[in-house]
Amino acid sequence: MSNFNVPRRSLMLGGAALALAPAAAFASTSPDVGKPAPLFTAVDSSGKSWSLADLKGKVVVLETTNHDCPYVRKHYNSTNMQTHQREAAAKGVVWLTTASNAAGEQGAVTPAQANDLTQNRNAAPAAVLIDPQSKIARAYGATVTPHMYIIDAKGTLVYKGGIDSIPSSNVADIPKAKQYVRVALDEVLAGKPVTEPSTQAYGCTMKYPRTST
Amino acid sequence: MLRFLALLLVVLASPALAQSVVQTDNVRAELLSDVAAAKPGEPFWVGLRQTMRPKWHTYWKNPGESGLPTEIAWTLPPGVTAGPIVWPVPHVFDIGGVINYGFKDDILLLVRITPPADLTGPLKLAADAHWLVCEDVCIPEEGKFELTLPLAATATPSDPKTRALFETARRNVAMESPWPARYGVSKSGDPTLVVEAKGLKPDTISNVYFFPAEWGDVAAMAKQTASVTAEGIRIPLKKGEAKTPLPAALAGTLVLTEKTADGSVQQAFDLSAKLDPAFVPQATSLAAAGSEQLTFVQALLFALLGGLILNLMPCVFPVLAMKAAALARLAGRERSEMRRDGLAYTAGVLVSFAAMAAVVVAIRASVGEVTWGFQFQSPVFSLLIAYLFFVVGLNLSGAFEFGNRLAGVGKGLAARGGVTGSFFTGVLAVVVATPCTAPFMAAALGFALSQPAPATVAVLLAMGLGLALPYLALSMTPALQRLMPRPGPWMDRLRQFLAFPMYASAVWMIWVLTQQTGSDGVLYALGGMILIAFAIWLLRLGAGSSPATWMRRGLAAIAVVLAFAATFKLEDGPATAASAAGSPTSGVNFEGWERFTRERMTAAHAAGKPVFVDFTAAWCITCLVNERVALETPATRRAFEQAGVVKLKGDWTNRDAEITSVLKELNRAGVPLYLFWAPGADQPKILPQVLTETMILSELSSIQPTKR
Repeated sequence: MSNFNVPRRSLMLGGAALALAPAAAFASTSPDVGKPAPLFTAVDSSGKSWSLADLKGKVVVLETTNHDCPYVRKHYNSTNMQTHQREAAAKGVVWLTTASNAAGEQGAVTPAQANDLTQNRNAAPAAVLIDPQSKIARAYGATVTPHMYIIDAKGTLVYKGGIDSIPSSNVADIPKAKQYVRVALDEVLAGKPVTEPSTQAYGCTMKYPRTST
Repeated sequence: MLRFLALLLVVLASPALAQSVVQTDNVRAELLSDVAAAKPGEPFWVGLRQTMRPKWHTYWKNPGESGLPTEIAWTLPPGVTAGPIVWPVPHVFDIGGVINYGFKDDILLLVRITPPADLTGPLKLAADAHWLVCEDVCIPEEGKFELTLPLAATATPSDPKTRALFETARRNVAMESPWPARYGVSKSGDPTLVVEAKGLKPDTISNVYFFPAEWGDVAAMAKQTASVTAEGIRIPLKKGEAKTPLPAALAGTLVLTEKTADGSVQQAFDLSAKLDPAFVPQATSLAAAGSEQLTFVQALLFALLGGLILNLMPCVFPVLAMKAAALARLAGRERSEMRRDGLAYTAGVLVSFAAMAAVVVAIRASVGEVTWGFQFQSPVFSLLIAYLFFVVGLNLSGAFEFGNRLAGVGKGLAARGGVTGSFFTGVLAVVVATPCTAPFMAAALGFALSQPAPATVAVLLAMGLGLALPYLALSMTPALQRLMPRPGPWMDRLRQFLAFPMYASAVWMIWVLTQQTGSDGVLYALGGMILIAFAIWLLRLGAGSSPATWMRRGLAAIAVVLAFAATFKLEDGPATAASAAGSPTSGVNFEGWERFTRERMTAAHAAGKPVFVDFTAAWCITCLVNERVALETPATRRAFEQAGVVKLKGDWTNRDAEITSVLKELNRAGVPLYLFWAPGADQPKILPQVLTETMILSELSSIQPTKR
């Protein structure tokens, strides 16, 4: 066979371009609504273990919390969050508050502290999960406290976002706001699709473990 | 009484200062005005200045994955209107993996106030501002501000210090994008933004980032992998959290850093990209879909896979065909010989890849950052590759066999039998595979380049191994060899058939070339090809040493030289293309300016006129921005005219020799460069590379104080 005389400008190489693009940023791991909700297992403030897989057949609400965050305080001081929790419990919904800020950061609590907070604030979640390694928050791509998620009875994530539509720390805004979580929860319980399944969450930035990035 | 006097003094000196500052735990906030006295009917700027504690930050209009933007509610006298906040260019903050867009240290949020023409009495501006300020923890804060401005027949500017703050703030606001933009959505729903900034120099532009104006459509990303080519800027993005369809126009702020002769300048542009339904970008990456950090082992596997895929590239076919034919010929010979052959081919591929890796590492070591793909910006490279494909195609078609005379390097290496031949076939495979896969290159190398040197080398070698693997496996496995057809006439037919993918590749490279140079490129490339074909024909007419043969050889040599001379024409290409495109944003606009010549400059200066010289280039973004914000504003134009300035513009897009010599004299490596000759001055004043209107106006006023 014949031969070629070829310029040696072979600076480039061929491409597994598809495969080699730089990895995406962490926060994009937020699961999509309509997809199975990420499973997790965690221990609550009274030492009981909770697994999302065991809660199939029930509607579950996840609420990330940081009791020192002004936005969390807005909804607890106004008893808005507690009202939500009681309403949900009355409808058979499992409300899980998750203290997911990393150990040592603002909002990280011991089980005893979590119980005190529940008592002092007259809160009514099914449980407060203690998540010092932010595993649940990371699985759900939570970026703020409070960041709200609803998982339907089949284990599908059906809502993620803010608790309501007015991103402020002002208690007076609560009655004026569109109640995203309440509306979505009612739709889920009525077997309807959620009209606004993904909204902008607002609050204090989640505090993930510092070594994680 | 004393207190009253003090109060009076304060009121006289600076109305309402006492109420315009709010000090919170983390922010000192102040409402400032650009004017000391406002004129009814004339808009002016006020600003909320936030001076933050170190490490704390407030948020942009789209705060990113958490945070909230500052809000200002105004209480104004009837008829007075306040515009929206005009935001400074934001920064990206990565707070433990949560991406925020915001500000640190000291910023001024501008708001335009328009008092009605019939306004009477002092103008009292009351603002109720809310902001969220975060370090690790987030604190919502607020402040009530009041500022009372007297009215006057003409607006009086504020004190110089405040004016300077406003000047800086206005410079820190994104300008309207001079380029159109569009975006397409991939099948996976991720948008890709294309900014049609033609004719940019890719290697001068870095840190490209697109800040989406609103939450939800586009995810806030820690890092965007924008690619800059002569065609424009392309930024693959990720769909945001909102479940609503992507909007008809995607608004946001594009930030980039341009390397100029004097250092780096950050530029920001507001743009609105129209949804282009015809543009469906390829899924940006598997990694984005899987969103997992690639481990090193995964990267190696993917690289191997990528190398395998290279075998499917049309340009590599002929090389593989050569190998297949060689293999068939070797069939029945010693198995060890066949194995040696396979190993030699693999070695050739790997050595080429190793050389490439060495180049990459070396460039990175010397330059710091490699902007990959620059070779493919070179039209010369495209042309040479097109020629290569064409010649290889002719050879496959049987138009000629490479002889020692044509190649001029003795018997071609790849044709050499045995191990050496196989080795160089491997090298050849890499060389021909390379241009075929250009579009994939940047992304693939993006990963390799972001790794430390040993990983870069390993990834590239894995890719090479992937390329060599099919043949290596074939030569090592007798079972597979039995599947190979026997040698026969089919080999010739296959070879002839394979000429067509080569021609197709040549056509593709010419198309690439036209993208780089405009339609002239076609002329040079096809003309060059005819010359090459002519040369081949001449050489085939006969051998020997008769005078006629030598004549033909001479002619052939001339034809080849002419074909390659086309590369010199192409060097000037991109700029020509940019100006030929005719769009007002590409090319240099000479309206209101004379073309620079040294002669004209000297003559005008000798005649005692003030001379302003603007050295610019079509690809220089900073030049373009300076023109928009400082040189071509109505006020500057008027001032130039009043002062009788001779305005000269030098277009360095084409590396004009005369301009280059001027730059050299002034010890400049490139544009932008602005010279101002005051009348009678011994030498020109060199203005900074980032201009402001004020700067030009004060330069001009210094030469003609009486006229103004």
